[in-house]
Amino acid sequence: MSVFTIEAFLAILGLVLLMIEAFAPDISRRTLAALSIGGTALALVLFFTVASHETSSLPAFVQPWMKLDSLAIFYKGLSLVITLLVLWLMHECAPYLSKYTVDGRLSELFSLPLIVCAGMMWMAAATDLVTVFVALELVTVSFYVLVAFARKSNLALEAGVKYLILGALSTGILVFGIAWIYGATGSLSFEGISAALAKPETSKVPALLGAAFLLAGLGFKVAAAPFQSWVPDVYQGAPIPVTTFLSVGSKAAGFVVLTRTVEALIGEHSIIGPEVKALLLVLGALTVLLGSLPAIFQQSVKRLLGYSSISHAGYLILALACGDSIRTGMTSGGIVAFYLATYLPMTVLAFLVLAVLRVNGQGEDIRDFRGLGKRSPLLALALTLALASLAGLPLTAGFMGKLFVFFSLVDHAYWGALVCATIGAAAGFYYYFRAIVAIYSTEGSSNEPLKLNIASKVGATVLAVVIVVLGVYPKPLQHTLTKPVEVAAKASAH
Amino acid sequence: MITLNHYLVVSGILFSLGLAGVIARRNILIIYMCLEMMLSAGNLALVAFSRFRVTDGLPDYTAQSLVFFTITVAAAEVAVGLAIIVALFRTKQSVDVEAVTKLQG
Repeated sequence: MSVFTIEAFLAILGLVLLMIEAFAPDISRRTLAALSIGGTALALVLFFTVASHETSSLPAFVQPWMKLDSLAIFYKGLSLVITLLVLWLMHECAPYLSKYTVDGRLSELFSLPLIVCAGMMWMAAATDLVTVFVALELVTVSFYVLVAFARKSNLALEAGVKYLILGALSTGILVFGIAWIYGATGSLSFEGISAALAKPETSKVPALLGAAFLLAGLGFKVAAAPFQSWVPDVYQGAPIPVTTFLSVGSKAAGFVVLTRTVEALIGEHSIIGPEVKALLLVLGALTVLLGSLPAIFQQSVKRLLGYSSISHAGYLILALACGDSIRTGMTSGGIVAFYLATYLPMTVLAFLVLAVLRVNGQGEDIRDFRGLGKRSPLLALALTLALASLAGLPLTAGFMGKLFVFFSLVDHAYWGALVCATIGAAAGFYYYFRAIVAIYSTEGSSNEPLKLNIASKVGATVLAVVIVVLGVYPKPLQHTLTKPVEVAAKASAH
Repeated sequence: MITLNHYLVVSGILFSLGLAGVIARRNILIIYMCLEMMLSAGNLALVAFSRFRVTDGLPDYTAQSLVFFTITVAAAEVAVGLAIIVALFRTKQSVDVEAVTKLQG
């Protein structure tokens, strides 16, 4: 069995669940949720057994378009984990979400994430812009439906329309960029593009035009400037599990493609290397500032997390612009993967707490956090850890990732970008800690304890432990990510 | 004689018209049509580049295969997109961009 079988299994399971709902409408929500969560869990277990074998490879008919290097395996695993967590979160939120759908039905909510997961896993392995495009659109079009899913809620519908328009705009820009990259290099595979860009006779202007459009189109998926304006609105309007999925899953899948694209564009002797690096530095610094500064004034925690997601994307783009970092011994791809792995538990944990508050009939503003310390000490502690980690407090997971980014900026002496990143991080401490202060303030809050089921308690505890463990002892994760880097470096050297 | 440049100029005009429409128009349906125009611009450029890159007397078909995918994806995107816009019209009785300004910081 190969990894590809698991991906196909997920996509087919998603379609089967959709058909079951269409032809057997009486089926209970619990059964659908169980099937979909069970299927993903099975896929995750199978994935770990298959991926640990050295011999695991792809079937011959997909080999021209996909390759299974360690980076691909890492992102595939990440996609499966986040999908499983999101499906569980959807199950937890189902009672309140069903109020906003026609007839209270939620079937697509349990089948579409499986299809999205298959798309993200294909994106992780794609070595060709055609494959990237198709997998990316599989993810994006499914997300249009997921964002607008609670369509009896005006806000969700509005978020859906905004995501649709900007998503379609980025698709148009992406296709135009691919066309010009192809026109300049005559190839659609990353290897071919990289090889053509290393030749001095390749014309520079069309290649630059294509690269700029391509990066702008991909920038939308990862919430980077200049297409970052949808993020806060869509995060606020979409259902909480979908927001979680967008902020971790969609972003991670976007970044693996961006990593491979940037590697192809700024490879050794690339004629447009310096220009693309400068563009990425400017975009990254701008993204950090456009994410961090408006976040200071936010009252809604979902919007706050939206802006925080933008600024995190900014740090990752800065890391990509730097290329290999000597001080940390990691390549840019490794740093980005490490950062995203630490980003997963903290973001999911923050959204989990929001979901619990929501199920208990609370809002999503910072003032709704007041008194949380008394109402549920466990959740309060978990949320404090998550927010501190998002800010990048030492000894939490978020610290090491940010540190690597700063190190590689220092390595390459990009002082301007370093200043912007520092301003962003400082602003981050202010707005995350404002939320933490609210958690422990007792003024004007109810003292009624929050109802928590066992699953939420266990989930919050596990995620909080992961944050602390990754923060205190990041070496094992760092090592698993240093290896893929060497493999990738060897592959590109040949 | 029509050369590659002619196609690229037309594609560039289509793209700019689409982008201008997206920015300037107020009706969401028209914005959506402009977005489709931008996709067509990309497709036209792809086909033209592909046709004029001749090796051994045959055009390079790699990029033309991508065009089939973009057309299919665009159709799927329109199906989902129009469904969302219809749902919006049902609740708000309007497809003006003014109808979607509630989400603000």
